[in-house]
Parts: sequence; C-alpha cells; structure tokens
Amino acid sequence: MLSVVVLVMVVVAGCSSGSDDPEPEKTPPKEESTQVDKPAETVDPNKPVDGGTLVISTFTDIVSVNPLFIQDTASADAATFIFANLYDLDRQGNVTAEPWSLASEKPIISEDGKSYTIKLKSTAKWSDGQPVTADDVVFTINAIRDPKVASPGISQFDKVDKVEKVDDSTVLVTLKQVYAPFQYALASAVVPAHVLKDVKPEELLTNPFGTDPAKTVTNGPWKWTEWKQSQSMNFDADSNYWGQKPHIQKIVFKQYADQNTEVQALLKGDVDLTQAIPVTQVEAVKNKGDINVILAPGPVYEYLGFNFKEDNFKNKFVPFASQKTRQAIAYALNRQGMVDNILKGTGKLMNAPFLPGSWADPGDAVVNYGYEPEKAKQLLAEDGWLPGDDGILVKDGKRFAFELQYNAGNSRREQVAAVIQQNLKDVGIEVTPKAIDFSAWVEQNLTPGKYEAILLSWSLNNPDPDGESTFSSKYFPPNGQNQGWYKNEKLDQLWVDGYSTVDQNARKQVYAEVGKEISADLPYVFMYQYGLPEGIGPKVKFAEEDKPEPTLPYGYFYRIINWWVDSK
Amino acid sequence: MTEYLIRRLVQSAVVMFLITVLTFGLIHSAPGGPTKVFLSPGLSQQAAKVQAEHLGLDRPIPEQYLKWVGGLLRGDLGYTFKNHLPVGDILWPTVGHTMVLMGAAWLLSLLIAIPWGVYNSTKEYGWSDQTASFISYIGFAMPTFWFGILLQELFALKLDWLPLSDMWSLDKEGQIGDLLLHLVLPVSVLTLGFLAGYVKYARTSMLEVLQQDYIRTARAKGIHEVRVVYRHGLRNALIPIITIIGLDLPILVGGATLTENVFNWPGMGRLFVEMALAREYSVLMAITLVTAFMVILGNLIADLLYALVDPRVQLGRKGGSTA
Repeated sequence: MLSVVVLVMVVVAGCSSGSDDPEPEKTPPKEESTQVDKPAETVDPNKPVDGGTLVISTFTDIVSVNPLFIQDTASADAATFIFANLYDLDRQGNVTAEPWSLASEKPIISEDGKSYTIKLKSTAKWSDGQPVTADDVVFTINAIRDPKVASPGISQFDKVDKVEKVDDSTVLVTLKQVYAPFQYALASAVVPAHVLKDVKPEELLTNPFGTDPAKTVTNGPWKWTEWKQSQSMNFDADSNYWGQKPHIQKIVFKQYADQNTEVQALLKGDVDLTQAIPVTQVEAVKNKGDINVILAPGPVYEYLGFNFKEDNFKNKFVPFASQKTRQAIAYALNRQGMVDNILKGTGKLMNAPFLPGSWADPGDAVVNYGYEPEKAKQLLAEDGWLPGDDGILVKDGKRFAFELQYNAGNSRREQVAAVIQQNLKDVGIEVTPKAIDFSAWVEQNLTPGKYEAILLSWSLNNPDPDGESTFSSKYFPPNGQNQGWYKNEKLDQLWVDGYSTVDQNARKQVYAEVGKEISADLPYVFMYQYGLPEGIGPKVKFAEEDKPEPTLPYGYFYRIINWWVDSK
Repeated sequence: MTEYLIRRLVQSAVVMFLITVLTFGLIHSAPGGPTKVFLSPGLSQQAAKVQAEHLGLDRPIPEQYLKWVGGLLRGDLGYTFKNHLPVGDILWPTVGHTMVLMGAAWLLSLLIAIPWGVYNSTKEYGWSDQTASFISYIGFAMPTFWFGILLQELFALKLDWLPLSDMWSLDKEGQIGDLLLHLVLPVSVLTLGFLAGYVKYARTSMLEVLQQDYIRTARAKGIHEVRVVYRHGLRNALIPIITIIGLDLPILVGGATLTENVFNWPGMGRLFVEMALAREYSVLMAITLVTAFMVILGNLIADLLYALVDPRVQLGRKGGSTA
C-alpha cells in the first residue's frame, strides 16, 4: 500500500568522485586507469568510515532545544542529534526500544491498560557524566504536566494520574483512563533533573538550558558546541557518549533564507542534506546526477476546511451545511490534477485523516472522490441549488459564494486555491481566495474559529491515528483545535472508542469505521498527503536498513547514528 | 558650530523618541504575537497564555513601552521573547556583517560613479555617456536578486570560480582572502544598483553647474578647462551629490534584504525579515533604533560636508544652510 519512491543513486564501486570527474563512469578503460592512479580508493565503499562533517540546511533558526518547550521543526530537528529518546519508532511507526533509546525494552502495559512500566538502560549517561535515571523521567513528565511550566506538550500528558519512581531504572506511569495514544507521548526526550530541579517552574521557560550550548547538558550521540544565531549550529560527536558512537564526527546545521538558496547550496556542494526541495526544482536537482532525491511525502496532509458556525456567515447562512453539498464539492475538485501539476506528483490523495499506508489507514473502507463535475452538479441540484442569473447557484434566495483563506506567501496554497476557485466555478460556486499573513491569520481567524473556509494542513508528528482534538465537538475554539465548529455525534463517540483500548486490532476496526463516516460526512475535503522532497548529496552514505523514512516525524534523519560521510 | 551641533543633537533625540513611540505602538498593534506564531495539534492555548504571562506580553502596551525604555536607558536592548536571548548578541554581529558588504559596494560605486559622471558631463552623449546610460537602465530595471541568481548560476555553479554564498567558507572563518572571494558576487550586484543612480546624479549635477555664469567667466578668464571643471565646477556640483549620499547612509546598516537572502549574507536586512515574521518586538525595536540613528547621522554628516566643500555654507547661522 505504501508506495515509497526512493531514488537511490548508483554508487559505482572503486570510482572516483562523480562530480569532479564524471568521465570514468562512462568509459571503463579510463576508470581502470583511475584506479591504478588511486589505489586507496578501492576500499569497500559500503563499509562505514568514522569522521567527517555533515552539513544540513534549514531555513528557520531554532527557538530552544529544551525538550520541555520544543514545538517548532528546527528545534525538534536539532534535538534529535543531542538528546536520546526514551523510546524510538520503527519504520512502521511502532514504539520500540532501539540500542540508542534510553529504555531497555518496550513499555510494559498492564492488563487494564492504564499503567505503563518504563525500564531504563543502566548504561545511559548525561554529557556531564551523571547517569540517566528514573528521577529524570519523573521530573520531565511532572514538569510537562505542571501548568506553571507552560509546556506545549501538556495536553499529551493530561490523562496521567501519577508518575512514580519504582527504583533507579524503573518508572511507573498510571493513567486516569485507558488512552492508547499515550505510548507515543513516551517516544520523546527527557531533561536532566539534577540540572533543572531547583529552577522555579515558571522560570524554566527563560532558563538558558536549551539556548546556551555550554549550559545544555545532553545525553545523545552528539553534543551541542556552538550556536551562531540565524546562521549555524555545530554538533560534535560526544566522546563520552554512552552508546555505540556515531560515525559522523561533526554535524553543521546551516541556515539559509529560503528553500531556493538551500537548493543552490546543495547543487554547489556547500550542503550535504536538505529537507525541502521546492517541487519546481526537483528536475534541476535530479539532472545534477549525483544527488539522491527522496520523493516520498511526509506526515502532513492538506485540507479544505469548512466552517459550520452560522455567526461566521452573512445572513447566518452556511452554504455547505448539508452533507450532499459537501460531497458535491469533493467531486468537483480535480485533486489528482493538483497533485500532478502543482505538486509535480509528490503527493498522495487522501479521503480520511489517516496517512496512506499507516497501520490505521482504512484503505478501501472510505469513500473515494474522483474528479466528476457532472456528478457534483447533479448532487447540488438534488440538494436544492438552482442556477441564478449570473450563473452562480442559489438556494432560498442566497448565492453559493464563500471566502477561502490561506496564508500569504505559500505558493503551493496560492496555486491550489486558484484551482479550487476554477473547479468550483465550473459547477456554479463562487470562491474568493484570500491570502493573510500567517501570524495574523492564526490569531484572528484560526484560533477563534472565525472564517468561512480555509486551506491548511495538519502535520501528524504523532503517528497515532487519534484525531479527537481536531474533529470532536469537545474541542471547539478557542481552547480546542476543532476550528470549523464541526459536530458529528457518531464520530465524537468513535474517537473515544478508538483510544479507549490498547488492542491495536480493535482500534483498527474503530478507525475503519471513522474513515467511512468522516469521508462521507466531510468536515474537510481531505486533499492529499504531501511533503517537500529531501535531497542528499554524494558524500552521505548509509546502508539500506538505515535509509531515511520521510513518512515518520523527523524521518529525514532516521537512524542517522549509523550514517557516515565519505570525507575525501 | 558647537551650538549648532548641540541643537542638532537635541533635535535628534526628540526625533528618536518619537520614532520609538510610533514604532512600538505600530508593531504591537499588528495582529499576531511571539507566542502565537506556532500552530500545531499539540499546542495548548493554555500553555500559550501562561507563556505570554511569564514574558510580560499580557501587560498594557504603554507599560511594556516604559519597561523597554527603562532598559534602553540602562543600555539594555532587552531579550527575545521566544528564547530569552540578549538582543545585542543577535543584532551587533549582523550590523557589522552588513556594513562590510554595503560599505564595500557603496565605496566602490562612489569611486566609479563620481569621476565617470563628471567625465560624461563634459562629453555629453559621447560613447562613454551612452554606455553609462545603458548600464543605468539595466541597474534600475533589473531586480538585484535576479541579477544575483544569474551571477551565481554562472560563476559559482557553472564555472565554479567563486563561492556561491555565505561570508566565509565553513573552515576558513576570519580569513580576509576568503572573505574577499565571498564579497565579489554580492558586491558586484549591489554596485550595479548604486552605480545606476550615482552616475546619473553626478552627470546631471555637473551639467547644471557647467551652464552657470561663473563657469563662463572662468573660461573667459582663460583658465585651463580641466581646472574649470574640477575646481570650479565639481566643488559646486558636489553639494546635491552629498545630499544623496547622506540620505543613502542608512542603507549601510539597513542592508539589502534581497541580496543578503540570495547570497546568504548574515546581515541585518535578513535578520529584520526573520524577526518581523516571528514578531520579535525587542529585536525589531533595536533595528529601528539603529536605522533611525543612521538616518540622523547621515543628515548631520551631509550638513558638515557642505561646509567643507563650500565655504559659503555657514552652519548655525540662520538662512546659511543651502540644504
């Protein structure tokens, strides 16, 4: 089901660097002579070498690498190098204990599904030499739960009843109720209790731990050695790291102004890895020949979100209040065309809020909407919409017109909004696209739930399929994420059923049911899963089992501890 | 002269104060805020509220302003909201980086533009003048970032003669030779932009002066043409040019955001855009202050230069200033 398109470049054994001297690859006699000239290059290229520098590009600076406060991608990326997680994810997104995880085995879940026992490795150490113990885990979870700390992760832990230290390497977490997604909350980093325990909860936010490399005690394979704000960060392999040492000696996180300059730097060879090649540049990068371009979409999906609150509309008339009308809109949109033309084929259509190929993906159980404008017109007519004088549909004397908001400067959404406008005009619906500055949009429209329709996406940084906080009527604005004021009692209950058992097969059935209902009722028109292609330069090497996994959160660095660079 | 300087300084202080009040009010009334730029399914509104409280962002704007001014008077530019870093640590290096880039481009363009413009004014519509016009058209019409990308494409990617971007290579930080190599492309782009205007100003200003009666008198007295042009003409023609230069001085720190972006130059223009998007009020205020200071300084320097090139300009005497 999951069709991951990975274009791995062909590594020619015993050949000199392709970019400096591409000739030998084409003409074998010359290749031999090159080998004679450079006997040192006949070493097995599949054998990892230690040392070297890996330069990774980014276009935003970090905020803080303090695991208690991370909520932006750049900080989370940086943290993956310097903090070990309690648990990590396997390629399918299951919680697991890897050799570099702090836990020694998977969490042990009690019969009643409410208690989680965490067993720690006894070998793990902080960069200042102190052991990583149960105290650190207890301190971290309690800090996140404390409202005075203002950790953005607080909602992930709001089902926790108590956290207890059993012994130095065992922690017992008890939940108030069965809540299956909780295991993913444990696949995260911990902070050192011995460094932060005397800091007042409300002062943790401004504490230099997380922003000052010298004061940030870490426990991962690399340590943070330098930060030049808005320019670069350096991470050096920690010689005192407790586990199997990483091959790469130094990681440089280099900031560029935008994705286009990042790609230029990748082409020049200044950068070895970039996570975001704009789709319009993919061909140019591929043409360079020696750059590995990974096209699989990431854990993000885009949607056309409807608003169901009458106060947001003129005359309190919600034009898409009826299910049939929403289905008509879904049929009227040429989503495959958008994926082919705007995303240049780097997206995958979705009809429910589950990533294609994930364990909870309901597959064929959902309603699939093809591009069928005639069917759309027919549904609209059945629903009581009649053509008006200007060609726009009218019902009860009200025109079918609405405003579609998106964030200014996002060229993908700008193009998609234009296609939506055209597609819907073809069936008699007037859409007015409106671009708004992101920060203002969040404050004035998204958080209070004030808009008619939006084009936005959700990033699924937690592989759990639970979507209660986005779709349940328990989570209306301003304190919840159900910004479209969508209410469907059947779904409200299904989401609860979905997380109230830790039996994965039982959950699968619930989410198949969710998929069926949500794809028919359409709080959103689910558009596509997407993600900017990742580009990896010729210096970077990894074995097949350690290749990046873009569908996982932070998967572009998946198993980077086993990667190496060919430092000539 | 001293009295004049004191008066100018007092005026400047008042202007600076008004600028800070205005800017502070404007950026705080813009929608959004440092704790509101993130939106993710995990972010609790509760946490955002508590964070705003910790950071003092929930206080009334006049109170926040007074707190900021209080800090400023003690030499404290404040801290970033999102990660509590001292603003000065972030700002000052970028000011230096921008001055290196802009200063080089600006000096180079002046050194080329003034002699060339003067020469062209003596050979109106000659081939040199036509060339300058052509270059000016290009300089005005071509977006700098686009020209920058063209140069990168050719000299950094195709020919591989010059570095693509950045101020230094990864392992050569602080080396002058490496810096010069990195300066070539961005300075070329910026110089073309500056040159376009300055050549035209110099030429026009000279042409105007050369038609004056005193030039005719000088020529009639039999003074050598070179002396007429450079001694009698240029001195007078320089006054409007100095005005332009004075007004342009703030760009030395304001930077060229687009050029800095294309060449990944770690300067203040880039910083400003980044911080505006993140609603980092204290950094934005500091950048505004530095820029305002440069505007005032530029005007002052221009005034002082008038007196230097033209002894008739007497500063401080009412009606004595030609500006």
